[in-house]
Amino acid sequence: MARHDKAAVPQPAHLLEVQDLRVHFQTGGGVVKAVDGVSWHVDAGETLAIVGESGSGKSVSAMTLLGLVPSPPATFPSGRVLLEGRSLLDMPEQQQRRLRGKDIAMIFQDPLTALNPVFRVGEQIAEMIRVHQDVGKMAAKKRAVELLDEVGIPDPRLRATQYPHEFSGGMRQRAMIAMALANDPKVLIADEPTTALDVTVQAQIMSLLEKLQAERDTAIVLITHDLGLVAAHADRIMVMYAGRVVEEGANDEIFTAPRHAYTHGLLSSLTRMDHARPEKLEPIPGQPPNLARVPRGCAFHPRCPFATDACRAEVPLLVPTIPGSAHRHACVHPDEVAVAHDRPREPAPVVTADTPVDERAPMLEVHDLVKHFPIKVGTFVKRTVGEVKAVDGVTLDITEGSTLSLVGESGCGKSTAARAILRLHEPTSGTVELGGRDVTGLSQSQLRAARRDMQIVFQDPYASLNPRMTVRQILSEKYELLGGQVTASTIPDLLETVGLAPEYADRYPHEFSGGQRQRVGIARAIALNPKFVVLDEPVSALDVSIQAQVLNLLEDLQQEFGLTYLFIAHDLSVVRHISDRVAVMYLGGIVEIADRDALFERPHHPYTQALISAVPIPDPAVERSRERIVLTGDVPNPANPPSGCRFRTRCWKHLQLSDDDKRRCIEEPPTLQPASGDDRHQVSCHFAGEREVLR
Amino acid sequence: MARFITRRLVQAVLVILAATFLIFLATFALGDPFASSGEKAVPPDIAQANREKFGLDKPLPLQYLIYVGNMVRGDFGIDYDQHRPVSQLLEAAVPNTVRLAIVAIIIDILIGVIAGVIAAVKRYSFWDVLVTVIATLAIGIPVFVIGVVLVANVSGWGPFPSVPRSFTVQVPWYQEVLLPAFTLAIIDAAFIARLMRGSMLEVLRADYIRTARAKGLSERTVIGKHAMRNSMIPVVTYVGVSLGVLFGGAIITETIFQYNGVGYLLSRAIVNSNAPIIIAVVVFSVVAYVLISMLVDILYAFLDPRIRLS
Amino acid sequence: MTTPTSAGGSPADADATGSAMVLPGPDAAAGGTAVPLGSRGSGQFADIRRRFVRNRLAMVGLAIVTVLIVLAIIGPYVTPYNAFEQNLANTLQPPSADHWFGTDVLGRDLFSGIVYGCRLAILVGLLTVAFSLLIGLTLGAVAGFKGGAWDGIIARFIDVFLAFPPLVGAIVIVRAVGGGVTPVIVALVALGWMTTARLTRGQVLALREAEYVEAARSIGADNRRIVMRHVLPNAIAPVLVYAFTNIGVVIVAMASLSYLGIGVPPDVPEWGRLISQATPFLRVEGKAHLWLAPALAIAITTLGFAFVADGMRDSLDPKLRGGN
Repeated sequence: MARHDKAAVPQPAHLLEVQDLRVHFQTGGGVVKAVDGVSWHVDAGETLAIVGESGSGKSVSAMTLLGLVPSPPATFPSGRVLLEGRSLLDMPEQQQRRLRGKDIAMIFQDPLTALNPVFRVGEQIAEMIRVHQDVGKMAAKKRAVELLDEVGIPDPRLRATQYPHEFSGGMRQRAMIAMALANDPKVLIADEPTTALDVTVQAQIMSLLEKLQAERDTAIVLITHDLGLVAAHADRIMVMYAGRVVEEGANDEIFTAPRHAYTHGLLSSLTRMDHARPEKLEPIPGQPPNLARVPRGCAFHPRCPFATDACRAEVPLLVPTIPGSAHRHACVHPDEVAVAHDRPREPAPVVTADTPVDERAPMLEVHDLVKHFPIKVGTFVKRTVGEVKAVDGVTLDITEGSTLSLVGESGCGKSTAARAILRLHEPTSGTVELGGRDVTGLSQSQLRAARRDMQIVFQDPYASLNPRMTVRQILSEKYELLGGQVTASTIPDLLETVGLAPEYADRYPHEFSGGQRQRVGIARAIALNPKFVVLDEPVSALDVSIQAQVLNLLEDLQQEFGLTYLFIAHDLSVVRHISDRVAVMYLGGIVEIADRDALFERPHHPYTQALISAVPIPDPAVERSRERIVLTGDVPNPANPPSGCRFRTRCWKHLQLSDDDKRRCIEEPPTLQPASGDDRHQVSCHFAGEREVLR
Repeated sequence: MARFITRRLVQAVLVILAATFLIFLATFALGDPFASSGEKAVPPDIAQANREKFGLDKPLPLQYLIYVGNMVRGDFGIDYDQHRPVSQLLEAAVPNTVRLAIVAIIIDILIGVIAGVIAAVKRYSFWDVLVTVIATLAIGIPVFVIGVVLVANVSGWGPFPSVPRSFTVQVPWYQEVLLPAFTLAIIDAAFIARLMRGSMLEVLRADYIRTARAKGLSERTVIGKHAMRNSMIPVVTYVGVSLGVLFGGAIITETIFQYNGVGYLLSRAIVNSNAPIIIAVVVFSVVAYVLISMLVDILYAFLDPRIRLS
Repeated sequence: MTTPTSAGGSPADADATGSAMVLPGPDAAAGGTAVPLGSRGSGQFADIRRRFVRNRLAMVGLAIVTVLIVLAIIGPYVTPYNAFEQNLANTLQPPSADHWFGTDVLGRDLFSGIVYGCRLAILVGLLTVAFSLLIGLTLGAVAGFKGGAWDGIIARFIDVFLAFPPLVGAIVIVRAVGGGVTPVIVALVALGWMTTARLTRGQVLALREAEYVEAARSIGADNRRIVMRHVLPNAIAPVLVYAFTNIGVVIVAMASLSYLGIGVPPDVPEWGRLISQATPFLRVEGKAHLWLAPALAIAITTLGFAFVADGMRDSLDPKLRGGN
């Protein structure tokens, strides 16, 4: 500070401070108040998490700092941003630009698209250095290589000369981090930095960020929807809803003593991987509001169980929970919320079946299922040069009315396996029996008839409904094709079963929210009473509060109609909640299969252990004591898997073995064997052994 | 990369062979040029002699093989009218056409890219509307309308030589080429401007542009470096097609300006049904087009590493 | 006070035409169960239609196109003279009450000629584009959906046809097939289907993997149904936009051929012919209208179609225009 004014510039209270920021968008449908009076701050070495569902305004407030919100259409009716006391938004554009990338840097959600595809990775990092530092081209390039090395990219000299498409997703995010840290920024904004990544890669990236933060005393603003991530990594948390802050406080305060009904609702709708007996999910009813028509008063009141007239009257202000506390909430009924939160949750409905799940007859039996995709090259004559072994010998069965989850990271073959079971992809070999009938041998016309019994719900509710058909047409088509009578009440009844109003029948998919669309997808699957339904990541595209609604619906339907589920997922918390049995896949094969609790409490395979340990648990007390197994590297190419045990290249246990034992992993492919003599718990590892990873 | 180029080359040769065969068939179907028709009576023995002289008495596939063989050696036969080697006529015309094409394409790219970028960056502004409206107008008006207007009102004025003019008047090529090149460029530049605008708008929404801004780069670097390189990719494709077409001769423009390129050669040959010239020019057009688009594909691969390295 | 004008007075008509052209919609194929398109305020086409109607240039284009099509249909019944009738005693008359645009070098009534030319242009434009669509959609859908050898063969086929510079190719074909309107259409279709096929192929290729296609298969739909009901209806919009853009291009191409003396017989008052016959009079005092009238006719026609096509594209892809 060079100036010595009488009105002494007060020592800035915080490294970065945002005051009463409003970001509005002028649209045809009215003014969208994406951010509506938000204040926050962050200090050096600290991690502030901004949490919210899609449309809560969490990203927009951070992007504004970097001038990344285009105006028009955006307007900024109010707000100040102070970086070390200097007011950012009042500076001329050129001066602001000098701070961007230097004092405040940002990493984005999708590393696939955030790097420019036509420039070498090294060049892009060097450019970041050269904009802000007076260094030569060569020096900048050398520094870029060092940075790539620092963020753990092997062979950084070569990697610097490669293009983004030659990097895996995790590598790209590392490169983004290297770029963001090139100028030692004071503040790093991380906008959903791991959402597009697998959970083991997420663990790598987050531990890298923590390490770098400790070394450089960087302030991190972590923007995310993932409460587990927040519990594991945040110091302070700010919860946003419909463009406003509803609650803020220290990590523990938010998780153990929430005072806003929305925070409480979010926590109650979460599935938790570490709870032995699944509790019933208590979803928040309804949908997040349209930001052009935010409800009067507290924006959450239409979905809130505690709402009273006071909530509707005016927008509640953020107030400290006790005078002077930094834990603040904007709820009219904090005490009711506190009481509700301390009440133990109801256990999940116990299936009141006559026979226990494991004694029932199998509904689906899959034996040695193989699906290889040929790799073809050639302009005129295609010749096969190799095979992607997407599914390479999967054996499993699912008993009637139960749920088996197939879990694994992207590319492990879980979705392909499900599609091969349904013969949506023709299996290369192996057999599938549904209710004792061999599906693999059916002719095309027999298969079409058999589809009545086996159905699928897809991952992306935005992609799985034909946009040119109304809900009625979508549902009627199934009856038309599989021979069912559509009476006047068929479609309304079906919609009611999945919790949709019958009036919705004549609407097009784009008129629905994601959760509602997924209900339509479920309605299509359960129409004509199938026996077996594949659920292919049915909730992973949905917001947390909506996930819980859909999971509850799926459980209710299973009970009502005795459905057998094959649940495909990468989210282990959801798996723990919904499954009876769990199979873990890696590179086309099952590495471990067991009853749910056995798998989570006593995992035997090193991969299962790493997978479980990588999933953050939304409970800061638990997270503090957990040890994380961070796997190195990426999943190998399934066209060219490692010899012997396919997991050995990333296996933490492999590294600890003697040379003789290592050779065994390299030479001899392991097979599924009973773990600790338990036939229902099978593991495919030469050196399987229990390890506690959950708590 | 070497494999990519080889593959592309093989493809080009096959396409040329297939296309020339189609031309050959189509031309053969024109009928016998030496048969009597209407008031033109040709004595049978003379017709027969002519057929033998021009090789029309041989079976069709053999004619094609002979033709391809000759073509590869640069021999396009002799024309029906003046009995001169067609290759000589082509040799005289091709350099003019190449000059015209190159000058036109340079004007195209300059005007089109600049206008497109301005329209995209200053979206909704006066400039955007101006570019969009002018581009739409330019595309809608046939080249022979624009050309004729230029001939009538601009030629013979300032540096532009008059059309038509006595063949004794010598005009340097760069003056002669200006007006026809400009005529051709008007329509193409309009296409490029629209393409560039759309592609730039698309690219400006990309995440990596946001990244570039977050780095603190100036708007000029963001647009000129990060957005430009990506948004040029579709424009390069279009320029390739356009250049290929221009190399094959701009028939109408060359005719209007009586510019001695292959296009004018072709239009005169059409008037007197001079089949050897027609075939030669069409074959030349096809070969030029295929080779140019091959070169552009390779250039394209250099622009986009995702293609180059796959 | 608003006075109805020809452009502003028919939003309802324009509406219906607009949606009918852009979006055949699923309902046409679905039989009686569906809610009729456009009877409701919402629905996916309502948004598109609303954006289209709000686009001023598109509405101007639509008005032009509507007038042209009406003219093409009723033209010969209302024009004062036979467009072909030569009257060598009455050539090169200036515009008058008898001959609105005057008479041409052959003594034909120019106004009637322009109207006849309009009929020809619209007919050739629409037929060429329709046939190109038929071929392009079919081959593109087969290539994209079947893949493998089908795709390879069709792709090479496309390459060969694309190797002909358009005008050059058309000249070869018209000369091979013979003179007249039909050979012109044949030539323009032969050289016009490839882009449609490529576009369709790309769309189908992308949509083939769509989850709703898999969903259809999971409820027992066969390939035919998947293509007709699930893939094509979603693939067709950009293809139709392209086709519409192409109508103007086709009209100009026919005029170019005529200008070179190819295709349509010399006595037919085709716009390109009229322009070429009038070119010598461009700088003759008081005769420029002979050239100007057909030149303007072509320009206005292509502009009309271009405006509509642009409007269609923008309303289908609101991102590009930033409709939010």
